[in-house]
Amino acid sequence: MSHTLVIGYGNPLRGDDGAGYMAAELLRARLQNPAVEIVSEQQLLPEMMQGIAEAKLVIFIDASVSGRTGKFNRIPLRPAPTCGRFTHHASPEALLAGAQALYGHTPEAVHYLIPGRFFEAGQEMTPSVRRAVNDLVETLAQELDAVTEATG
Amino acid sequence: MPRQTIVIDPVTRIEGHSKISLHLDEEGHVEEAYFHVTQFRGFEKFCEGRPYYEMPSLMARICGICPVSHLIASAKACDQILAVRIPPNAVRLRQVLNLAQILQSHALSFFYLSAPDLLLGMDADPATRNVFGLAEANPALAKDGVRLRQFGQQIIEWLAGKRIHPAWVVPGGVASPLTAESRERILAGIPECLGIAARALDWFKNEMERFREEIRSFANFPTLFMGLVGEDGKLEHYHGKLRFLDAGGKVVADYVDTAFPEYLAEIAHPWTYLKTSFYKPLGYPDGVYRVGPLARLNIIDGVDTPRASQEWAEFRELDRGAVLSSFYFHYARLIEIVYALEKIEQLLSAPESLDVNVRARANVNNGEGIGVSEAPRGTLMHHYKVDADGLITWANLIIATGHNNAAMNRGVLQVARHFVHGNRLTEGMLNRVEAVIRTFDPCLSCSTHASGRLALEVELRSHEGELLDTCHTR
Repeated sequence: MSHTLVIGYGNPLRGDDGAGYMAAELLRARLQNPAVEIVSEQQLLPEMMQGIAEAKLVIFIDASVSGRTGKFNRIPLRPAPTCGRFTHHASPEALLAGAQALYGHTPEAVHYLIPGRFFEAGQEMTPSVRRAVNDLVETLAQELDAVTEATG
Repeated sequence: MPRQTIVIDPVTRIEGHSKISLHLDEEGHVEEAYFHVTQFRGFEKFCEGRPYYEMPSLMARICGICPVSHLIASAKACDQILAVRIPPNAVRLRQVLNLAQILQSHALSFFYLSAPDLLLGMDADPATRNVFGLAEANPALAKDGVRLRQFGQQIIEWLAGKRIHPAWVVPGGVASPLTAESRERILAGIPECLGIAARALDWFKNEMERFREEIRSFANFPTLFMGLVGEDGKLEHYHGKLRFLDAGGKVVADYVDTAFPEYLAEIAHPWTYLKTSFYKPLGYPDGVYRVGPLARLNIIDGVDTPRASQEWAEFRELDRGAVLSSFYFHYARLIEIVYALEKIEQLLSAPESLDVNVRARANVNNGEGIGVSEAPRGTLMHHYKVDADGLITWANLIIATGHNNAAMNRGVLQVARHFVHGNRLTEGMLNRVEAVIRTFDPCLSCSTHASGRLALEVELRSHEGELLDTCHTR
């Protein structure tokens, strides 16, 4: 339980929905820190619970359908054992609760949400959303650059 | 009482979007039931004009759960267009990939989608009847499910580069050989996962007693069964002959798999985008059949791995002829998990599994190609025609859920007649109507993107449209 886990998720083939996924991809290229593990996936899955339980801090990054584009929002997360009935994907809160239930540990966690505007088929993100992705990557790169396994 | 319709929209914990409508007669008894697939994709049409070699990757996009199945069936169709015999190790590695897909998909279906009903009961609070409720109620079982699915996905990633939509299976073979490191990692994980599968089977067999009523009423009727069997009649998921078996357990016919257009036909119904296929010699509806794990364990003469063979022998004692209740799809899935693990071990233990000759190359030599394989949910068929430049001029896909469509509709009707009475809706009643669909584990192409949250909403309306009762998920 000594490292930081970054999970960026979303569908990069659905315009701004891919903001979280792209942020994780860019952060991986930007950051060279073995104490930080970066995962980019199309959606959150129950299989991620084990990795979450093994981390000290988890940073989730996703697009959101509400909010002002061009910005990103930081929201602290708490475990919540709820989910919809479409159960092969999940919310960050449910994964945190599952990590506690199955593996006995839930880490500190935050959620970065990047407001999007267009979620139609296509790989192009709205320019203001792409700016927000770049800003978030820069912010996280600076924040996580100094993270070490010992201090987390 | 006027005629009424109950609509379950959407059906939850299945792969894709659909709804169920139940039509009541004037006495409030269920008269008709329909399973509506409400999403339209059009893959067969928009691939026209694309070069054949793009087809495996294009067709894999049909689904985010079983892309590997489409990759394999599509690549087999393309092998025929090239008219090549692919290297033996390419066959072996495709088999391993297909079995890993079956492993992860069955784990998803059993542990994530259906075990919450089995563990917590069909009448339990829907807010907890999911994999996270399972984690609270039985952490060991939930952990086992997560591990099995994770292992199947890892095998796919180690072999093919990524878990979802890998492009490793190509016309003529596979893109790269297996590394010694990946082989060791896969083999090292098998014993632990076999232990998990054995525990899950034990648990399920103990629980079955509690579900006598569901066993009796969940799509429990005579139909034909269809699937691939090996040349020796044993369980097979990659190649072989296509076998039809009747409800009494008698083999109706064995066919060359790629000749399926001669003995299968499809019809369309106005209430669904999902086509229904049937066995031509018997016509429709007598030629209705089921595919998938239950069918595969019904049609075979044996299993060539030791533990799965033992489990299969026990399974076959459930009925004198074919095992008819679709509730037993769950049981069959667990046995196939055991088989997949044992078979992967068998295939990779051969030193030839590291052979680097894994791809045959050729130009277009045939104007037509057919690929058949067993996907987790049943037999998958891809059929393409190309012009002289290898551009697709026509494509037809028959997927497992289409094979099962008629049986699923009859299953919904059977279970609704058994559990739905009058104009008062209960959660448990409606969950059983959904649960019969879940036994088939239909895949309605979950790669379709859904924005926002979907909720279950059931409406009970008179034939004049008057709202009589509603039910919502919390």
